[in-house]
Amino acid sequence: MLLNRDNSGNRWHLRPDGVGKVTGQLQYLTDMTLPDMIHGRVLRSSYPYARILSIDITGAEAMEGIFAVLTFKDVPGLNRFGIATPDQPVFCEDVVRYVGDAIAAVAADSPERAALAMESIKVEYEEWTPLDSTEAALAPGAPELHEHGPGNVLHRTEIKRGSVDEGFAACEYIVSETYYTPRQMHAYMETEGGLFVPDESGRLHVYAATQHGYKDRMQLSRIIGCPEEDIRVVSSPIGGSFGGKDELNVQPYGALLALRCGRPVKMHNSRKESVRAGLKRHPMKIEMQTGISREGMIQAHRVRITADTGAYATLGAPVLNFCTEHCLGPYSIPHVDVEGISVYTNNGVSGEFRGFGGNQAIFAMEGQMDRLAEMMNMDPWEFRRRNMREKTDPGPLNQRILVTDGLSQVWEAMDRSELWQKRKHQNSPEVLALPPWIKRGVGAAIAMHGAGLGYGIPDPAGGRLSLNAEGKIEVAFSYEEFGQGLIATLEMMLCDLFQCSTSDLSIIIGDTDRVPHSGSSTASRSTTMAWMALQRLQTPFRSKILSAASALSGIPADELITGIGGVWWQGQIAPEVTANDTKINSRFVVSYVDLAKHGETEDWIFDTQFEYPTTPDNVVGGHYLYTYAAVAAEVEVNTLTGEAKLLDTRHVVAAGPVINPMGFIGQIEGGSVMALGFTLTEDAVMQDSHYITSNLDTYLIPTIRDIHTNLEIEAIEDLPEGDSFGPRGIGEIGSVALAPAITAAIHQATGVWVNRLPVPRDQLIKPLDVPLQKGVSSS
Amino acid sequence: MTVPLSSCWTAVVNGEEKHLQIAQTTRLVDVLRTNLNLTGTKVSCEVGRCGACMVLMDGEPVNSCLVMAYQCVGSEITTIEGLHGEKEDELHPIQQAFLEEGGFQCGYCTPGMVISTKALLDRYPQPSQEQIETGLCGNLCRCTGYGGILRAVRTAGETCLNSSLLTTVVKKVNDQ
Ligand code: FES
Ligand code: FES
Repeated sequence: MLLNRDNSGNRWHLRPDGVGKVTGQLQYLTDMTLPDMIHGRVLRSSYPYARILSIDITGAEAMEGIFAVLTFKDVPGLNRFGIATPDQPVFCEDVVRYVGDAIAAVAADSPERAALAMESIKVEYEEWTPLDSTEAALAPGAPELHEHGPGNVLHRTEIKRGSVDEGFAACEYIVSETYYTPRQMHAYMETEGGLFVPDESGRLHVYAATQHGYKDRMQLSRIIGCPEEDIRVVSSPIGGSFGGKDELNVQPYGALLALRCGRPVKMHNSRKESVRAGLKRHPMKIEMQTGISREGMIQAHRVRITADTGAYATLGAPVLNFCTEHCLGPYSIPHVDVEGISVYTNNGVSGEFRGFGGNQAIFAMEGQMDRLAEMMNMDPWEFRRRNMREKTDPGPLNQRILVTDGLSQVWEAMDRSELWQKRKHQNSPEVLALPPWIKRGVGAAIAMHGAGLGYGIPDPAGGRLSLNAEGKIEVAFSYEEFGQGLIATLEMMLCDLFQCSTSDLSIIIGDTDRVPHSGSSTASRSTTMAWMALQRLQTPFRSKILSAASALSGIPADELITGIGGVWWQGQIAPEVTANDTKINSRFVVSYVDLAKHGETEDWIFDTQFEYPTTPDNVVGGHYLYTYAAVAAEVEVNTLTGEAKLLDTRHVVAAGPVINPMGFIGQIEGGSVMALGFTLTEDAVMQDSHYITSNLDTYLIPTIRDIHTNLEIEAIEDLPEGDSFGPRGIGEIGSVALAPAITAAIHQATGVWVNRLPVPRDQLIKPLDVPLQKGVSSS
Repeated sequence: MTVPLSSCWTAVVNGEEKHLQIAQTTRLVDVLRTNLNLTGTKVSCEVGRCGACMVLMDGEPVNSCLVMAYQCVGSEITTIEGLHGEKEDELHPIQQAFLEEGGFQCGYCTPGMVISTKALLDRYPQPSQEQIETGLCGNLCRCTGYGGILRAVRTAGETCLNSSLLTTVVKKVNDQ
């Protein structure tokens, strides 16, 4: 179905958090204040790589209006954080490894005063030459940034099967190419920050954005050295994250300062500080060699991935796993030899980012497919079809995956689409009428993208459904609303399940005091997990409600249903009464409010705990559920300026039933434009391990001028019969396959094979080779 | 250290006269967010690029991170909190359109977007694609991909056409 407002009918659901957002009344966590709060700031390293000789805070401590100055000596517990590998210092003790490293934190009665105090902290360094590239970090004799070596390798991966040498020997055509992808910035509009409030009972209340409140709580308790229960983390609403706020950022500093001062502390990073300290997408170099038989069947595929993970681990290892898995694409390949390496450098820290390493892999693999098709003089879509995995084939890691038709469905839907058909008609009068320096092309790419964290990584899920004391149907999850529309989706799921209205609901997320542990809002998992949890909870919850209503009313429970406002009777319809006569057909029995009054509140609470579905096979990181997408793009290139402009895009997405069309469209459109930036303009450039593009005036994300206003989305909603996993998440799939579609279109337009993102303009500039027209002087 | 305070900073904010004791070099965005607790105006880049801090100053859209308190003494400032429909408790048609078309996700850019849209429609009640792009290219949104925003602006243009809520600048332009 072509997804838009008109086609969505009454499923076009206004967001419950919408009015607060369009009126500016909604308080983000960085908007919160308290009368007696003070302001925190973090002093960061002057150098990307240096030994700290001394830190002198006496001047700062003596200043008026300063409440505390903290360094590593003031961390009561573990002076480290990191979701997977806690190797990032809260405060550096002896060595700094990147420009975002924290040395000290200050709390003062005004932000200005905090800034002044920071200037008077004296740090002496012995400056070292930074390892500013993976090559430098891997060079023999390079200093080791972390003790756990060997060398500066965070993680290695490999997939080997068959014999690539034999495979290549039998090949008719081989394409070798090296692909480079940029250090992309999340560029969430709300920078990191929040309010940290100690209360009289000794508990700390943390109001700061994260994608996993419980994980923050666990890490903070380690740092502070207190039981987890002494901390409450409130983590929504969030002004954007895209993976960038999953790690702790300001939380350790706000928490330590608040506890030291016994007062609320407010933190709010400036954009520059956010760029300097925050996570980025891993820049990668991907070397690929792919060989095919005379018939166009892929025989051998050799891949070498090098990822720059920066100074600390964060999720560098899982990102590399994901990239490794996805660099085979959705294709059957007998001989495979893939090796990946994630390398510590003194550059900015790379971590989790929408697409999670899939974007880089898919750009490279789909680039190979287009090059091979051209070598064979074959249509690129037909070439893909020949090589696509069968639906019952194992997944990329030879693991069992859920059988669906998604791949062939997106292939076919795209094949039929008008936009993709345009590739065959590049000599249309419209195109021929363009000035000679304007070239147009159409390209497409296909992707399968895993959801969830993968085999062998704890990926808990769950949820709670209850009738609360106010008589509302309440759900509680530890997911976060960072813009994706989760609350709206939950509302719609509940209304569908219980036929109730939105005013019967209470939805609780993002508060560790009020929600059960149900995992993180990452990896396109929340929608599926919430759906699966509700499937498990609905039956016990409903039968409890209906039997209570039955006890009150004397009507048998199987004649009762849940509905708007409460429980209704659905008795036998007398033959003379029409089915539309609601008065007779269903009569109101008892309201949820009255039910809640009659029961013990604890009796109405239902919990579930389970794990995200993974493949049964023992392959670490292997996924079980995949989402499929095909993307086509029409691009216009100005060969005088090298500018590429996206004219038209179509996304076909197979992710099961669309629960919330507005949210679905928003996620695909937003992901697509984020991918447009990844492809054409975005690069957080570092020179000698310092950021050159330190704000949004030099780091260029797309504006409303740069977008493709014709973006069309086709949703394929089929799922296999009896599927118990429900709708798949679509938070990432819109962002993973646009880049190769654009570069394929650029190739059709100009003949240039682009292998580096963002697309270097100078590669697209071509001297004009047409005779100059009359009236133009050529002297 | 004492910060020199002005004896009286005066401006009309959302129709109400405000008098504050502040340094004249305070940025307008801080006056709004900190002194007046009007946190609907957001702050994101602080260099005039993102438009999250957009407000109307005497009807013109300005980045409040670039305007100093002394530059707006005596002027009329409208923030997102000052926008409403025919009745005070109703949404402005622009806000309504953003709500209905999915013109926001995280919502952090939204107040600035709505304010820029107001300025745009005040000037061009039926804007062309080109005018919309020019009017909103100073506002960055990282979430929506702008599709929903574009649809919201078009819808708002239609609903605002016969509304008394968009007249001031139009008159000015026509008078010239
Ligand atoms: S904060 Fe003012 S333009 Fe970005
Ligand atoms: S809605 Fe999040 S930045 Fe625009």
